Amino acid sequence: MRYRMPLRETGRRLRLRRTGWIPPGARVRHYDELGEDAQILVRKLAGRPRTAPEHGDLDDGDFVKFTDYYQVRTR
Amino acid sequence: MSDSYVIVGDGIAGASAAETLREQAPDAEITVLTDEGESLYNRILIKEYAKGKLPEAPISIHQEEWYDEHDVDLRLNTVVVDIDVENDAVHTHEGETFEYDSLLLAIGGTPQQLPVENADADGIHHFWTFQDARRIKESVEGAERAVIVGAGLLGIDFAAICGAQDVEAKYLMRGDCWWRYALSEEGASIMHDAMRERGVEPVFGSGVDHFEVDDDGHVEAAVDPNGERYECDFAGVAIGLNFNTEIVEQTPLETDNGIAVDEYMRTNVDNVFAAGDITTFNDLVLGEQGKNGSWGSAKEQGTIAARNMLDYGSEAFEWVSSYSITHFDFPFLSFGHPTIGDDSVEATTAEGEWRRVALKDGKVVGGVLIGDLSPQSAFKQLMREGRDVSDQTDLLMEPGFSVDDLAATTEQ
Repeated sequence: MRYRMPLRETGRRLRLRRTGWIPPGARVRHYDELGEDAQILVRKLAGRPRTAPEHGDLDDGDFVKFTDYYQVRTR
Repeated sequence: MSDSYVIVGDGIAGASAAETLREQAPDAEITVLTDEGESLYNRILIKEYAKGKLPEAPISIHQEEWYDEHDVDLRLNTVVVDIDVENDAVHTHEGETFEYDSLLLAIGGTPQQLPVENADADGIHHFWTFQDARRIKESVEGAERAVIVGAGLLGIDFAAICGAQDVEAKYLMRGDCWWRYALSEEGASIMHDAMRERGVEPVFGSGVDHFEVDDDGHVEAAVDPNGERYECDFAGVAIGLNFNTEIVEQTPLETDNGIAVDEYMRTNVDNVFAAGDITTFNDLVLGEQGKNGSWGSAKEQGTIAARNMLDYGSEAFEWVSSYSITHFDFPFLSFGHPTIGDDSVEATTAEGEWRRVALKDGKVVGGVLIGDLSPQSAFKQLMREGRDVSDQTDLLMEPGFSVDDLAATTEQ
């Protein structure tokens, strides 16, 4: 387990991209493992073409299992 | 000499305790004993592995190297057979003795077996460990028909596994709907429809009277109390847990459907703590003894236990848990204690969206959200605040409900 600060001030934006393939080396987290702020973000972004400020609980490249699998992308 | 801490169990409760101890006591001797053959893995995701959606590697959380790097002595395949609280020592099946200054028991539970004929037959699965998930995946991949028993949060994982692996299944339920203690038929019907879409047929007023087996002792059918026979290549049974309290029966440790602890996770013996599924704890939110089996709760209890092992009284466990089901194209979430209370309100808030809130003495004690999880934080906040909402329960059912709405009404 890694510890992360919940907030970052990088100016980068985060989005969730639906995916059907999880590579063996991926870091995958279930919705229930996330803090409440990150859960709200997942509900807001999952399956929608939206972005939000980067969040310390969701790293670029991570996968999240919600109603589908989503990959976290930041830029 | 540094203090020594022994942790029995390497699930999320034991592992989070080990992490916290190492962070806050860099010189401590920390030993983790587990009867499993692998180190900490993600118990929430093993159902995804069994569904065939995830490879094995992402399930692992702590590789064995983690324990070396953090100077934690991990002993796999190690069964604790005796706890000697008078002499501060635990004894293992191989005759080893581990002495401790402080002990944490994070020993969880074991799935219950149905009390019926042939309940232990080959092909009848329970679902708790990663090894269980591997066996289930292997069974499912060669199966065409299955039977599922246990109309609760664990049983529905079997339904999802069958659906994902194109196995036709009969889901035998004693009552008239899935998770009847937390949902009404109206709410449950959303879940039933989702099951049917995946080839899993709920069978109500049913259950299992006995299993039939072939000449090799493999399950081939379940027969329900009505005499109906359901052929199957395997069966999934998820009817609850037996908490692993046998090991403390000969000790002075108090038990109460688990190991009894206070809000600091301490037992009635000063240097013995417990965390995770095994505990019956002083639930500060509920105001009475409580139990909780969620991942987040177990992780928090492990952390809190460790802090109090280092400095008793430093931090109490005060937590509103939640548990989600993400198998379908809509989300489902239960929070708090949705099966208790003396009153409840429920509503269909939009097509495919339903919610129910359980109340006790006018206060929110738990609930279920289907489709729309947006009020999750507000309901948890009401639980933490112990707010009396008895005269405004209708507001809880408003689609965009927030705690501010309630405050405005209170002030009027």
